[in-house]
Amino acid sequence: MTKAGFIAQLSCAVFIGLLSACGGSDEAPSAAAPAESTEATATPAPSAEDNVVNIYNWSDYIAEDTIVNFEKETGIKVQYDVFDSNEVLEAKLLAGNTGYDIVVPSAFFVARQIQAGVFQPLDRSKLPNYKNLDPEIMTILAGYDPDNQHVLPWLWGTTGVGYNVKMIKERMPDAPLGSWDMIFKPEVVSKFKDCGVATLDTPAEVFPTGLRYLGLPTGSQTEENLAQVETLTMGLRPSVKYFHSSQYINDLANGELCLVLGWSGDVFIARDRADEAKNGQEIAYFIPKEGALLWVDTMAIPKDAPHAANAYKFLDYILRPEVIAAVTNYVSYANGNLAATPLVNEKIRADPSIYPDSETKAKLFPNVVNTPEYDRLTTRAWTRIKTNQ
Amino acid sequence: MSRAGYLALGDQLATSAEPLIRNLVRLAPIRILLNLFGRLGLRGRGLVIFLPYAWLALFFLIPFVIVLKISFADQLIARPPYSALWELSEKGYLTIKLNLNNYRFLIDDALYWKAYLNSVKIAFVSALICLIVGYPMAYGMARADKAWRNILLMLVILPFWTSFLLRVYAWIGLLNNNGIINNALLGLGLIDQPIVMMKTDFAVYVGIVYSYLPFMILPLFTALEKMDVTLLEAAADLGCKPLKAFFTITIPLSMPGIIAGFSLVFIPALGEFVIPDLLGGTDTLMIGHVLWNEFFSNRAWPVASAVAIAMLLLVLVILYLQSRFQRAAEAP
Amino acid sequence: MSEGKKPDPLMVAPWKDPAATPYIRIQNVTKKFGDFVAVNNVSLNIYKQELFCLLGGSGCGKSTLLRMLAGFEEPDGGQIFLDGQDMAGIAPYKRPVNMMFQSYALFPHMNVEDNVAFGLKQDHTPKKELWDRVKGMLEMVKLSGFASRKPHQLSGGQRQRVALARALVKQPKLLLLDEPLGALDRKLRESTQFELMNIQEKLGVTFVVVTHDQEEAMTLASRIGVMNLGQIVQVGTPTEIYEFPTSRFVADFVGSVNMFDGRITDEDNDYVRISSEDAGCTIFINHGVAAPPSAALAVAIRPEKIAISRSPPANTQENCTQGIVEDIAYMGDMSVFNVRLKSGKLAKVTQPNLVRHTDDAIHWDDHVFMSWHAASGVVLTV
Repeated sequence: MTKAGFIAQLSCAVFIGLLSACGGSDEAPSAAAPAESTEATATPAPSAEDNVVNIYNWSDYIAEDTIVNFEKETGIKVQYDVFDSNEVLEAKLLAGNTGYDIVVPSAFFVARQIQAGVFQPLDRSKLPNYKNLDPEIMTILAGYDPDNQHVLPWLWGTTGVGYNVKMIKERMPDAPLGSWDMIFKPEVVSKFKDCGVATLDTPAEVFPTGLRYLGLPTGSQTEENLAQVETLTMGLRPSVKYFHSSQYINDLANGELCLVLGWSGDVFIARDRADEAKNGQEIAYFIPKEGALLWVDTMAIPKDAPHAANAYKFLDYILRPEVIAAVTNYVSYANGNLAATPLVNEKIRADPSIYPDSETKAKLFPNVVNTPEYDRLTTRAWTRIKTNQ
Repeated sequence: MSRAGYLALGDQLATSAEPLIRNLVRLAPIRILLNLFGRLGLRGRGLVIFLPYAWLALFFLIPFVIVLKISFADQLIARPPYSALWELSEKGYLTIKLNLNNYRFLIDDALYWKAYLNSVKIAFVSALICLIVGYPMAYGMARADKAWRNILLMLVILPFWTSFLLRVYAWIGLLNNNGIINNALLGLGLIDQPIVMMKTDFAVYVGIVYSYLPFMILPLFTALEKMDVTLLEAAADLGCKPLKAFFTITIPLSMPGIIAGFSLVFIPALGEFVIPDLLGGTDTLMIGHVLWNEFFSNRAWPVASAVAIAMLLLVLVILYLQSRFQRAAEAP
Repeated sequence: MSEGKKPDPLMVAPWKDPAATPYIRIQNVTKKFGDFVAVNNVSLNIYKQELFCLLGGSGCGKSTLLRMLAGFEEPDGGQIFLDGQDMAGIAPYKRPVNMMFQSYALFPHMNVEDNVAFGLKQDHTPKKELWDRVKGMLEMVKLSGFASRKPHQLSGGQRQRVALARALVKQPKLLLLDEPLGALDRKLRESTQFELMNIQEKLGVTFVVVTHDQEEAMTLASRIGVMNLGQIVQVGTPTEIYEFPTSRFVADFVGSVNMFDGRITDEDNDYVRISSEDAGCTIFINHGVAAPPSAALAVAIRPEKIAISRSPPANTQENCTQGIVEDIAYMGDMSVFNVRLKSGKLAKVTQPNLVRHTDDAIHWDDHVFMSWHAASGVVLTV
């Protein structure tokens, strides 16, 4: 082999090795270094003249006409990208220069991101519709974002159980529906192995849920409790087909899955898709009686947002009751807009698994922010569970 | 790497690209650039040699140094989420802080060893399957009619015309429980329960073998095409049966192709992330995934960088071994 | 033209013995590649311990015939018997035949020793015997010091000898050689020719050699089969082929020849007179020919069988013509004269340079007489 040949191979190999790691920026760490960064990413190039707004939101998380109406009304072009994991969003935000004007992180990720100086504080004078927001939700958000300085609620939901009614009934007529036993009791969940069990691929939601089921404090960050919840989760591991945070929507809808630990609205999307397809799959969701995670997804403007002015216009547009009510009607997640509740379809508004009654609401609990050390422990535990080590 | 193959390909490209290059050189921006290089004393041969090195420095060496740097940093909640290696204080002290814990971590935690070992296993088995599947194909191509040979060669290269991601996604549609293969088998009455193929190691092997097979076939093809077939006649004439001749003559003579193809599959498969992520089960533990986790879930860029550097060292060792084998095999 | 004389063979010519059984019997063998008929209905007998040469130009089918003997090609029609056994369907690796390839086909990844040992290993020869035989064979081909070299470290002649050793070490009854000397330079070729003949005599192996080089064929062969367009046009000893060609093709292909067209004017059992405008004279031949009277035919006369002089010979009536010297090529041992005849035809004459210098030497543009013996002309009807 020639020297040149060796080097060519070397470079090829190294690129493979670095693929996942070399998006890193070379700038010195500083809590506030917004626009001077020279690192370019693949996202849209910022330009002051562009009358656009770049939005990065979860997949399947907006009504069909929300963007179209905004564009018609304001003449601002919306570039809309989607993700399905807080981790991916956070990695982009931490690398900086995302080019996005609005991002939609979950609330309990927001605390750390604010600490890292990723978002700009919101100027409420530019948000006349701020008054519509639900104080209850804003209080929950204040737990992550003191004084509600940086983020606004998008939608909120619960992490519960979605299932295929017929398939469950066939396999276990007396299935403990309404309880986490469906997921966390090995002798129950194993009955559904053949029709497909899936859970979210994030320890940040599965572990607190498990702690709750075990009757342990959901915010506890001790190794002993983590070990217990790991053992608990290991118990359902043999029955799980996959860990994934978005694929279950389709698979639940077309009968590839019959039981999921998932997000409320996603299960409803699956239900609607199954209805549209008229494939005979009947999908349902419940908030287990032991209690469930309540999470809020929030809207924020990154510090280096290239079109912050347009971002404010979009945020205020979303804060209009009729706009967010339409989104709720479409995706079946509750919103944090008190004025919008009367505009939400009766069917959704009356559904306790979407708009829980006060008794259920009392059982919902928010997630807490982990220390980096505990994060590492949970990731490691999660990897062990997933790889069955 | 099969030099002959690439040279041949280069020759073909050069002949067909010659008029293009002649026209390109006339373009003003290129002329100005060449002029600039010329002033720096880079002309003709010097320029030709300089360019790849400049390319390597720009796109390999610099990113590599950045990753190496991050691997010695501390994790921070900041943007970017790691500490600086050096600091110049106001009094003029330069403090350099190297954090070796990230590497210690790799040694202490069995997870990394398991991931590396499993990656090596999957990459090795994939390369082996590629070899077993690719060898007869390359052999058939090398022994086919000239006219056919080009068509077959084209067919091997053809998948590259579609996006890699798309082709991997297509496998999901094939391997699903409700996928084409299961539906066909169910429809034919050959099975009455879908065979679970998606999200298994089997699917990962299918994906890797499918994606990397051309990288095995092409060097094998060039090695086999070069081979003088009268050698096989000579072997037969001396009383050697065809199968034995294959193992004593054809295989040893195609060794450079085997080694090149094997490393061209093995090395990228080692760090493969997309295929195990899309097709693999959750228990498919590969280093690419561990790296992803470190980077995204733990936000531990320094550890992720250390994982990448460790993998690079692993690849370097493999490349070194490969080049030694190659030299041994090419020395006739 | 060297009229290579074979050292007196110990054996009698078996092809003259009607009771002898041929070692190789080729019967009506035909081989086609698509529409192209490579070998067309060839029948041929080759006897034990012969050194038989298949001689012909490229594409005449000689190599295909050889490859059919080795088993690399199957005949489309006809049969091949080897030692009485029908070879149809017998794979090359089962035939008691070894071949030396034109390219030598040495295994590049094995050293000389292993190349030579390869065939014996296939027969599971006991180790000791195997290496003794390899050693002996390498000694015979004078390559003892090269046992551990790889083929690419050898010269062309050494490679040729390795190929020969590899083919001979199995002690085959029949050795096929495809252009064995083709890749060697002239000097090496001459010495190797005699080496080959010595080996052939020493081991008593039957050789079938394919060559396009008539000189090689002449030197080596006990008999030659001349091939053209897939057919054997003449089989005979080198002398027969050279002195008594039976067709214009063979006369022209083997050595150089002057060919004069003509017609029979007078004939009897023991002579024939042919009038040839081409030659510009009457040709008298002192034996009868089997040709219809007044049939168009040709007389072939070898250049060295014509005498050339400036003064007229005794008999200028017959077997004598005149012309102008157009060209002289001095070859050292002899000179070649190109003489333009009255008919416009260019005739070729060679004369040995018997003395170093003579005042009587023939020069360009000299008017010369050319004459020949009545036995020198060969009448060719085809």
